[in-house]
Amino acid sequence: MATPKEMMTTWDKIQPGAVLPSFEDPEKKIRSKFNSYNYKVADWRVEKPVFNRDLCIDCDFCWVSCPDSCFIVEEVVNKRGKKQAKIVGINYNLCKGCAVCVDVCPTPIKSLLMFPEFVDNDEALKQWPTKDNK
Amino acid sequence: MAERYELKQKEVWDGNMAASHALRQAQVDVVAAYPITPSTPIVQNYAQFLADGYVDGEFVMVESEHSAMSACVGAAAAGGRVATATSSQGYALMVEVLYQASGMRLPIVMTVVNRALASPLNIHGDHGDLYLGRDAGWIHLIANNPQEAYDMTLCAFKIAEDERVRLPVTTNQDGFLVSHTAQVVEPLQDEVAYKFIGDYKPMNPMLDTKNPVTYGAQTEEEWHFEFKASQHKALMESPVVIDEVFEAFEKLTGRKYNRVETYKLDDAEIALVIMGSAYETAMVAVDKAREEGIKVGLLMPRTFRPFPYNEIAEKLKNVKAIAALDRNAPMGAMGALYNEVSGALAANGQSAIMTNYIYGLGGRDITAEHILEVIKETEKNAKAGKRVTDLQGFINLRGPKLSFN
Amino acid sequence: MLQIRWHSRAGQGAVTGAKALADVMARTGKYVQAYSVYGAEKRGAPMTAYDKIDDKPILDHSKWMTPDYVLVIDPSLVFQEEIVDNTTDDTIFIVTSHMDKDDLLSIAKHLQGKKVYVIDAIKISQEEIGRAIPNTPMLGAFIKVSGIIPFEDFLTSIEDILSKFPRKIIDGNLRAIKRAYEEVK
Repeated sequence: MATPKEMMTTWDKIQPGAVLPSFEDPEKKIRSKFNSYNYKVADWRVEKPVFNRDLCIDCDFCWVSCPDSCFIVEEVVNKRGKKQAKIVGINYNLCKGCAVCVDVCPTPIKSLLMFPEFVDNDEALKQWPTKDNK
Repeated sequence: MAERYELKQKEVWDGNMAASHALRQAQVDVVAAYPITPSTPIVQNYAQFLADGYVDGEFVMVESEHSAMSACVGAAAAGGRVATATSSQGYALMVEVLYQASGMRLPIVMTVVNRALASPLNIHGDHGDLYLGRDAGWIHLIANNPQEAYDMTLCAFKIAEDERVRLPVTTNQDGFLVSHTAQVVEPLQDEVAYKFIGDYKPMNPMLDTKNPVTYGAQTEEEWHFEFKASQHKALMESPVVIDEVFEAFEKLTGRKYNRVETYKLDDAEIALVIMGSAYETAMVAVDKAREEGIKVGLLMPRTFRPFPYNEIAEKLKNVKAIAALDRNAPMGAMGALYNEVSGALAANGQSAIMTNYIYGLGGRDITAEHILEVIKETEKNAKAGKRVTDLQGFINLRGPKLSFN
Repeated sequence: MLQIRWHSRAGQGAVTGAKALADVMARTGKYVQAYSVYGAEKRGAPMTAYDKIDDKPILDHSKWMTPDYVLVIDPSLVFQEEIVDNTTDDTIFIVTSHMDKDDLLSIAKHLQGKKVYVIDAIKISQEEIGRAIPNTPMLGAFIKVSGIIPFEDFLTSIEDILSKFPRKIIDGNLRAIKRAYEEVK
């Protein structure tokens, strides 16, 4: 069964109306056990996107487009003192390898590229195309 | 702030006007509706109240009843007090979403004006739509006249929104016979009515963006049964709250409602179980029968769901024969009231002789004389000590006698 | 219990008239029922509306009645025999017609031997209200014939019931009611 054992509540303890909270503690952003972020749904992926931080301009297109909310984001303050979302990586527990992020990435040399699942990410970054060879 | 509506101590309102004033006094946040005869005036009056400044909430005209109930589900999940009105075909189109509303435990109030279901097309009153929604997980309250249509609608909000219940409620009144019949109604003043219902207390509102929640989760076999069981438990335990609300309402108005209404049942040897406006017509028939020396009483479930089976069995424990009168085409079975009452008796080891009558389909008139005939037939069963009349008969049906055994 | 049946064409205001009468009577402490029998018809189709007035709450929700009064507010419906259905010898008919009673009864034979009053509610409403809405003049005639409440009390109540309309309409209706009260015979 797909549902983890620790989530199998009994009828007397179940959430009325199947209204499920996203957070155990909204203040501290502790996700509840119902939150699908805790699920591993990516085992069957054969190709993965690799993220190249050096080329990324933080346009967030990938974050918006990703159907599984895989992009890990950090809140940072930019040079002008404004809050900004910085893409820091990909949650490979959720990514199914659809490659939409690669498609929407607008940088001259893509900051996201698909590689076979077995290729190590560091190795992938070494193979990244350059300006002359894109 | 909504303006106060000047109400006389006694108004002459039809059931629709009574229901729309109750909605107005509840200060509903969102009414989403698609008007349909005979409940159209509820929606129409409400929109007029809004246009005239007597309502603060939103009124959403949608493109179908399915959308109406869907918008109600959305608005209720968002965290507002929500109501709508419908009848017949509109009710049928809503059915899918009725189950969603109750499954998500959204305290929506729907003022239903009961009307026959097509085909053939008919705009008049019977309980086809009420019976269609009976398993949808809603509480169904029955009103027999415009006063009750008003009172039940006020009570409906208080019952639905109680944190021990949190289930949607319909109030039912017979199409035209109640909805379009003007009678004397004694309304509460706006502030008194609102105070009785109280402020709306949101539970898990989606508009609380700091604490996001998911409505309409998919559960499958690991969870579905547990959810449905807990939902059923809330419905089965709602009588505690319904009784409290009826008691509070009596204190406020002097008008006493019970989950099981009875008329002259205490010393009765035979009983009729009947629901809706015909219950009152049957009172006239009972008085006539008693003049002729027949000890007959009446019983009506005020709450069709949750069905008060133990209370009904208790009230009927001394009668010898019972006729259950259903205002719905039974289609291959006995009428629902016959089945429910028989089950209630059987569960309590009682064995009064049960018969079923079908009446009033599509608004067909039922008079006190017709009911008197049923009383006399039922008396035959009581006297014989066994069933000597047909199991299922039809009242005021044209043509050769039709019955089933 | 006093029972009244209205015969009208959909759109002539019989429902409004029946409800207005119920409202007037409720203000005197009576219990009332006002309803109508609808079909799927359009404007202009024959229809009936009903009033029940009693000293105790009215429980009977059946549509059937033996009327004490039959009010016919459309001149052509006077000639339909349905208007005498379920009536007794004591039933009083108040009908709208431009004819006088003798001429009318010579054609409408089903009304012969009945207690019939005639009022030209159509003409009165056209002249006083400006539209052929014969319901309020019929109420004036009914109050005269039945003597059910003092005419002054009736006028006070009906003016309040009509108060949502513009002054011109209220005045026209009141004039029509008063004329009908005088002219019914």
